[in-house]
Amino acid sequence: MAVIPVSGSEDFANLPMSPEETRRVVGDSVPLHDVDRSLVDGIDPLTYEVVRHRLTSITEEMGDALKRMSGSVVVTDCNDFDAGIMDEVGDVVQVGLYNTELAASLDMAANWTLRHRAHRPGIGQGDMFLCNDPWVGGGLHQNDVSLFAPLFIDGELFCWTGAVAHQVDLGGVSPGSWSIGATDVFWESVPTPPVKIVEGGEIRTDIEDVYLRRSRVPKLVALDLRAKIGANNVAHERIQALCDKYGAVVVKAVMRRTMDDAESRLRAKLRELPDGSWTSVAHQDSARAGDREIYKIVLTLTKAGDQLTLDFTGTDPQVDGLINCTFAGLRGGVIPVVLTMLCGDLPWAPGGIHRCIDIVSEPGTINNCTFPAGIGKASVASTWATTNVTTECLAGLLDTHPEHGKRAMSVCCGTWDFTLLAGVDQRGGGFVTMVCDSMAGGLGARTDSDGVDTGGLACIPMGRVADVEMNEFAFPMLYLWRREEADSGGPGRYRGGVGASSCFLPYGSPLGGVHLVVSAPGKALPLASGLSGGLPAGTQHDVLLRATSVHEAFAAGRIPSSLEELGGELDLLPTHHETDLGEADVYFTHWQGGGGYGDPLRRDPEAVAADLRAHKVSARAAADVYGVVLDDAGAPDPGATEAHRAALRRRRAGLEPEEAHA
Amino acid sequence: MSIRIDDNLEQAADGSVSCRHCQAAVGVAAEPLRDARVRLSAPRDAGPSVRSNARHFTDREVVLRQSFCPGCLTMLQTEIVPGDEPSHRTRTVAVRA
Repeated sequence: MAVIPVSGSEDFANLPMSPEETRRVVGDSVPLHDVDRSLVDGIDPLTYEVVRHRLTSITEEMGDALKRMSGSVVVTDCNDFDAGIMDEVGDVVQVGLYNTELAASLDMAANWTLRHRAHRPGIGQGDMFLCNDPWVGGGLHQNDVSLFAPLFIDGELFCWTGAVAHQVDLGGVSPGSWSIGATDVFWESVPTPPVKIVEGGEIRTDIEDVYLRRSRVPKLVALDLRAKIGANNVAHERIQALCDKYGAVVVKAVMRRTMDDAESRLRAKLRELPDGSWTSVAHQDSARAGDREIYKIVLTLTKAGDQLTLDFTGTDPQVDGLINCTFAGLRGGVIPVVLTMLCGDLPWAPGGIHRCIDIVSEPGTINNCTFPAGIGKASVASTWATTNVTTECLAGLLDTHPEHGKRAMSVCCGTWDFTLLAGVDQRGGGFVTMVCDSMAGGLGARTDSDGVDTGGLACIPMGRVADVEMNEFAFPMLYLWRREEADSGGPGRYRGGVGASSCFLPYGSPLGGVHLVVSAPGKALPLASGLSGGLPAGTQHDVLLRATSVHEAFAAGRIPSSLEELGGELDLLPTHHETDLGEADVYFTHWQGGGGYGDPLRRDPEAVAADLRAHKVSARAAADVYGVVLDDAGAPDPGATEAHRAALRRRRAGLEPEEAHA
Repeated sequence: MSIRIDDNLEQAADGSVSCRHCQAAVGVAAEPLRDARVRLSAPRDAGPSVRSNARHFTDREVVLRQSFCPGCLTMLQTEIVPGDEPSHRTRTVAVRA
């Protein structure tokens, strides 16, 4: 069914608003703290650095508080959350190092709240607002629930703090809120615009009930809510102490200067790069279960002087499925790349960085969708694809510069390998969890070095993968292996980091099996592209083996280490799939690596030989893609390699194949 | 004074783009791969990293599209994309006055 426009939804179609316009809209409804420009310009360098670093450490403390209080492995072990400190109108002064995609639109949510909640129900000290409506901001899809809190000092709204984390289930048709058959948002978790869930320091139980009632695991979500309250409380205590020591105007002046500093230093860097434009494309296969189409996001990045323009004209219209993202999702796709590739040596103050970036995007497209398009998978679908295309364009810009080019990186792990398990755990309780093994994606190759193998994800600088033992302890599953996979990194003069695979079976549930939801694109075509002739990383590969002999192998004292050893009936899974796993069923999921850089025939043969010994590439790839001939001892044969590469160079270009000989 | 475009290409002050390895002319600033040799083939020609046939997942044809230096045949650009789409990958570095 086609997406039908919903009257009134435009009230939530939020876009960033300038501080001046925000102050005009808010008027006298809530007193906003401000600081004179002369204080910002006149602050001494030592005080500036001390207070700025204190603000940075406060975001880290917020993350620590969240992790210590949460009971969700997704948060405690995988760091799928973030935190930030904003000024009085929501501009982000400091973002945490965890999942920067999640925190990329905290500013939009706080700013919307200021404009729409100041009159009624009002904004006061001790209040906290919950939001999981990505059209407003605060997250990328409904599972990203943000909680942001105003801090009042001397009766004025001094700043906002915010914490956001992925919640494992907030309702919807499928467990995990990952409704793979969704054609619009009404299949999915209910988006909730900012609502005051903490008032004057007390949780409003009526609002909390409304929030939790939708979840399959309400107690876990309730615990995460308290973890986010704790994170905000920690931040407020620390910022209050900072203001007590230095004065509120000094702390606010440092906030202003931090954003100004990030802006001016980014502009200085941009001026060192040549003007020009870089265009690229990122694809996704399948918008929902049963869909066999391929969708594209097109980006033209223009750099002129000290300003970047990201123009997404040419991107496909929004689709009936769960892969769309809102404008907040688009920003969430852009900012992680800007932070890691362009801003590694300057303050992570998006409030200043955004001033250097103009975004052109047409509402109604897959990365700027309108209500009620499905967005349940936005974070790892159109937001992720936006990250991919932004990575490629920015890397192209940086590659022109001898020094800044060292920061360029090919596309990392092309997408999230979504695997969700649900059912009854080994303790008899209901459970839902996203298996976050693909946090160990391969990083893209750089202009002077290989990508880091299973190095992580560019958008989550502090992402990590839970130990196998932790997953087995927490959930009814048993691993056969989790290991790096040869050839999953994109070939190139510098190789993309390899991805990995996990293979497991249900284990210990009183029901015998578990429910499985799979949502992993990149099967029809690879999604982590290469640069400068480098090849893309490998494709996603998910296999379900029914009625295997795994338990017979265990009884015989063997742990199978390949799919061939497991027997059973093999099913190559499509991008979206939902089913039950029985006791003897085994699931194998193989996620992606990073793209390569440069022509693989220009890779050092010794590096290829080392890769072969370390199982990073296969013998077939070493010969057919890298053109390296090895002797019996596994060392490169220089003469034979040169001849083979010469033949391969002609053959792959379609020239005189009859003269080519391996 | 030339400017580096990437690992394989550089652009001269007059906007001409050439191969950094063999100096063959490859294009111009507005179209740096204009004279590159382009070849379309099956995605699995990219090597064992392409695990499955795209036909299993989509009805659209997916192709491996590669561009090569016309002189030394260095691979300049690689993409695996729907075959009915033109290449969206391009760049234009401004010519310095």
